Amino acid sequence: MNRKNPYIDYGKKILIFLLSVLILSVVVFYVARLAPGDPLVSYYGDRVEKMSMAERQWAEENLGLNDPIHVQYIRWLQNALKGNFGISFKYKTDVLEVIGGRLVNTLVLGGVGFVLIFVLALGLGILCAWHEEKWLDKLICKVGTIISCIPEFWLSLVLILIFAIHLRWLPSSGAYSIGKATDIPDRILHLILPMTIVVLNHLWYYAYMIRNKLLEEVRAEYVLLAKSKGLDKKSILFRHCLRNIIPSYLSIMAISVPHILGGTYIIETVFSYPGIGTLSYESARYQDYNLLMLLCILSGAVVILCNIISQTINEHIDPRMRESEVIETTEVTEIG
Amino acid sequence: MDDRFVQVGIRSIGVPTAKKAKWYEGKPLVSMAVLAVILLGCLFCDLFIPKDPAYMDLYHANTAPNAEFWFGTDTMGRDIFSMIWYGGRISLFIGFFATVISTVIAILFGAVSGLAPKWLDDLLMRLTEVFLSIPNLLLVILLQAILGKANVLSISFVIGITGWTSIAKVVRTEVRQLRNSEYVIAARCMGAGFFRILWKHLTPNFISSIMFMVVMNIRGAIVSESTLSFLGIGLPLEIISWGSMLSLSEKSMLSGAWWIILIPGIFLVVTLLCITNIGNHLRKNVNRRQSNL
Amino acid sequence: MDDLILDVQHLTHQFPLTKNMVIKAVDDLSFQIRRGEIFGLVGESGSGKSTVARCVMNIYQPSSGRIFYNGIDVSDPKEFRKHKKMLQTSRQLIFQDSASSLNGRMKVADIIGEPMEIHHIKPNRGSVRAEAEFQLHSVGLDKSYLEKYPTELSGGMRQRVAIARALSMEPELLVADEPIASLDVSIQAQIINLFKHLQAEHGFSILFIAHDLSVVKYLCDRVGVLYRGKLVEVAPTKELFSSPAHPYTKSLLSAIPVPDPRRERARVLQEFDPALFGRDGEMVEISHDHLVRKGGKR
Repeated sequence: MNRKNPYIDYGKKILIFLLSVLILSVVVFYVARLAPGDPLVSYYGDRVEKMSMAERQWAEENLGLNDPIHVQYIRWLQNALKGNFGISFKYKTDVLEVIGGRLVNTLVLGGVGFVLIFVLALGLGILCAWHEEKWLDKLICKVGTIISCIPEFWLSLVLILIFAIHLRWLPSSGAYSIGKATDIPDRILHLILPMTIVVLNHLWYYAYMIRNKLLEEVRAEYVLLAKSKGLDKKSILFRHCLRNIIPSYLSIMAISVPHILGGTYIIETVFSYPGIGTLSYESARYQDYNLLMLLCILSGAVVILCNIISQTINEHIDPRMRESEVIETTEVTEIG
Repeated sequence: MDDRFVQVGIRSIGVPTAKKAKWYEGKPLVSMAVLAVILLGCLFCDLFIPKDPAYMDLYHANTAPNAEFWFGTDTMGRDIFSMIWYGGRISLFIGFFATVISTVIAILFGAVSGLAPKWLDDLLMRLTEVFLSIPNLLLVILLQAILGKANVLSISFVIGITGWTSIAKVVRTEVRQLRNSEYVIAARCMGAGFFRILWKHLTPNFISSIMFMVVMNIRGAIVSESTLSFLGIGLPLEIISWGSMLSLSEKSMLSGAWWIILIPGIFLVVTLLCITNIGNHLRKNVNRRQSNL
Repeated sequence: MDDLILDVQHLTHQFPLTKNMVIKAVDDLSFQIRRGEIFGLVGESGSGKSTVARCVMNIYQPSSGRIFYNGIDVSDPKEFRKHKKMLQTSRQLIFQDSASSLNGRMKVADIIGEPMEIHHIKPNRGSVRAEAEFQLHSVGLDKSYLEKYPTELSGGMRQRVAIARALSMEPELLVADEPIASLDVSIQAQIINLFKHLQAEHGFSILFIAHDLSVVKYLCDRVGVLYRGKLVEVAPTKELFSSPAHPYTKSLLSAIPVPDPRRERARVLQEFDPALFGRDGEMVEISHDHLVRKGGKR
């Protein structure tokens, strides 16, 4: 096998990434415009109903909506490449500005949630594997399965019902109390419920994966060898088994980013949390085209990037994955 | 047993009678039973529900559970007990129908990709990735908007065509392994066409490895329906389903009508739990062997 | 001129290994099979036997060379498509490993009936099932096996089912790719006898692939010896066994065990030195119908 230059490999991946994002933008652009609905409503509000035909025509032209779709797309692409993503119809300012204000909120919710899931899943998985088939493992498995079955929106409702309405301990919506936008403890208080849901919703899936991977690993022959050399259970589990599964865990966590991010969309909507999720929900419902495009491309780029990262990790674990197909060997001789 | 053996201390060891495994052994019995009750209850709800689930009894709106309204009434005065069974029909139907749609797409797409030459396979997989990278919620909203006003069929369709990718990937991998097996080559040699090979030779051999995912897809579809209806993009209030019942919960939250939120939700969660247990049972269990640790 | 059913001319097939490396599994191979003849192809594992079979059956597209079946050039995709149905019915393939060549999820009756179903051929004996029963009978299994799955059968029975499936198309050419290699010795003899019997009854031609000569001696009319993708000797069976010409053939012959212990002990293995084998020899006819690779020694 001749080793290829790794930079060519990375270059190829970047090219694939850019191409995928381009295709994504075309798809979203067309699908968004196929959907019926009046984008003018989100720009002009109720005034649209009173507009005459001529006024409508003028308004559409003003927003560049009456050209054929491909002309609109090319214009959008040209502007986008210059860094100009247009204005939001609803907020009437540059979409970058609209998103910028919200991005931090989502990153806090999703990012901290992701780290928590990552750490807790690892701990919980190891705990279960350590106590395999004992009562603790069984208990955690049962509770985990039940929690993972609960739809996130309903879990949110129940927690709001308990902690916000009955006990009045925690706020039920928003990212901060009115007029306290810079008050950090207040913000944290607002984060507790949504964060709990983000973590609870995904935690078990990954913890269970760690548990099963570890249990699979524990059944490998080398564990017997290590045991015969006199290593104790703890060092076998942590120094050998855990180390072997960490790469595949990383790879899976890379793919999990979009899932966790996607989950925050619904949670944000339930909690009226001013993040990307509520924003994209609004933009899709009210035909705010420019905003929708940028949001889709941003999240799409994250997803595609995560896939590529995960794939790269996998290739490092197992070089066979580089050639996505093992050569068919039927009758091969060494004749060259 | 001869006395002499006993005298030297050899005890008789009972011959282990090879117990024939009963059909139910190792199966998630409780889940199957509960799910059966829910399924049958929903199917034959007309026989036992006490009220018309769609009738709005405005005098009794927001009534807490009592002797007349076992599970209380919702903000529009409809009887929740009747609605649950009646609406379960819709929710479960959407779960199954959406799964049928996504499984069919997944098998076709996965088989084409698995049997195709490498370049086409690569292209198809890239397209899947792009498709996956659009946030699911947005995709559903946009597709639903294209299809117009939501009804049971259109929402099943939307959930179905957004939920096939993970099964398709497994099908593709399986087909790639199976396509070089000799019985597939033999069938091709005999002149069997694509659909015949897919249906007769490939599907029976990979179906067991996607069964778990198919069952989980039912669960996913039910969750999607309820989430979408809750967000107000799914079924409207007039079409009773567990999701559309829960879409009233934000209003009821402030009035403290917990039963409107909790009771349909518990039904939903129990159903999902049963489906999950059955699904997990179908997954191949790796831990049957003795641990080396 | 003989009546040829299969004429393979300069067949070469190579597998790509990496982007700039290929492996020649079959290299410039020519042989003919006459109508009603059993032609044996012998070679050690990895010598390209199965590749020849798969090229003949149009599973692999040959890299170069031509294959004529009944005068039709089947290595030409256009010609192949034109005569597809005829080719797919009148040539039948039997695989080495019956466990994997029969779909484990189908019943024996469905397996035998499958080619008829695919080609919408009206069975000679009324229903597909009756035909399957008849074919099963002709390979020595009774109808109680119709409802069984391949996994419930022994290796020999499975191979019989595979033969029955091939027979149901009334083939003119049967390509048997090491059909007995995965069977027990006692079963091997039964299957060989079955082949001989069926051939005598139906009169089809067989391309019989094997990795040892002893099987071929009993069954085949003519034998070709394959070594590293090249044909080294082709001769009528009797002549090949009485006067082998190529050193590799001699070595193979000396490896056949003799059923007499005294003579078995006296048997001397003749080693064949691969270094002596040149790739660029020529096939020379040393006597009637007897061709040997000559020259090209390094």
